[in-house]
Amino acid sequence: MNLLKALLLTCALGISGIALAADGSVTISSPADGAKVGTSGINVAYSVVTGPKGDHVHFYVDDKEVKVLHELKGTYTVDSLKAGAHTLCIKIVDKSHTPIGVEKCIKVTAG
Amino acid sequence: MDAQDLGYALTQVVHNLGAVSVTGGAAAARCLRFSEPQAAQRRLVWLVLAGWAAQGASGATFGAISYATYGRFPDIHGIAVAALALKMVCAAAGFSLGVLYLVRASGWSAARRQGAWSALFGFALAALTAAAFLRWFS
Repeated sequence: MNLLKALLLTCALGISGIALAADGSVTISSPADGAKVGTSGINVAYSVVTGPKGDHVHFYVDDKEVKVLHELKGTYTVDSLKAGAHTLCIKIVDKSHTPIGVEKCIKVTAG
Repeated sequence: MDAQDLGYALTQVVHNLGAVSVTGGAAAARCLRFSEPQAAQRRLVWLVLAGWAAQGASGATFGAISYATYGRFPDIHGIAVAALALKMVCAAAGFSLGVLYLVRASGWSAARRQGAWSALFGFALAALTAAAFLRWFS
C-alpha cells in the first residue's frame, strides 16, 4: 500500500513538474522576497522556463518595463532604485512581446 | 501546429510582402523615366498602395491575435512605441500619397512625380528601419 502511495505521489509530482515546464516558470533566486537592498547596482538572479508559448522575458521595476532579456538564466543589474519599497517583476512574453501570464514578482526595500 | 503560431506566421507573410511591395515598388518607380507615359508608374502606385494596406492590416492583426489569445496587447515601451508610431505615420502618409498620386499625378510635372516617388521610397525605408527597432526593443 505504501508502495502504491509512493508511486501515485511520484506520478503526481512528475505530472505537475511536466505541466509546470509546459506552462513556463520564472524563478528569482536573489534577492529574496522582502529583502533589503542597496540603492544602486542591485543584482537580480533569475532563471526562466519559457514553455511552448513564451519566447523571452521583460523585466519590470514598479510596473515599468526597464529591460528585455533574451537570456533565460542569468543576472540582471538594476542600476538604481530610489530609497523605499519597490516591486521587481520578470514576465514571460511571446514573440510579439505579449505577456503570456507567467511571471514572478518580488518586493524589495531599497535604502 | 499551434493556431496562434500559425496566425502569427501567416500575418507575418502578409506583413513581409507588404514591406517588399512598398519598398520595391517605389524603388522601381524611381528608375523609370518620368517624362514617359504614366501607365507603368500607375501600376506601381497600385502595388505600393496594396503594400501599405497590407502593412496596416497585418500590423493590426498582430495586435488582434495577441488580444484574442491573452486578453492584452503587446507590452512595448520607449523606443518600441516610437518605432510603432513611426511605422503608423509612414503607412498613413504612404497610403495617402499613393491615393493622391492616382488622383492628381496626371497633371503633375515630371519633377513633381519623381519627388512623390522619392517620398514614397523614404516612407518605406523609414518604416522598415522602425520595424527592426520595434522587433528588438520593447
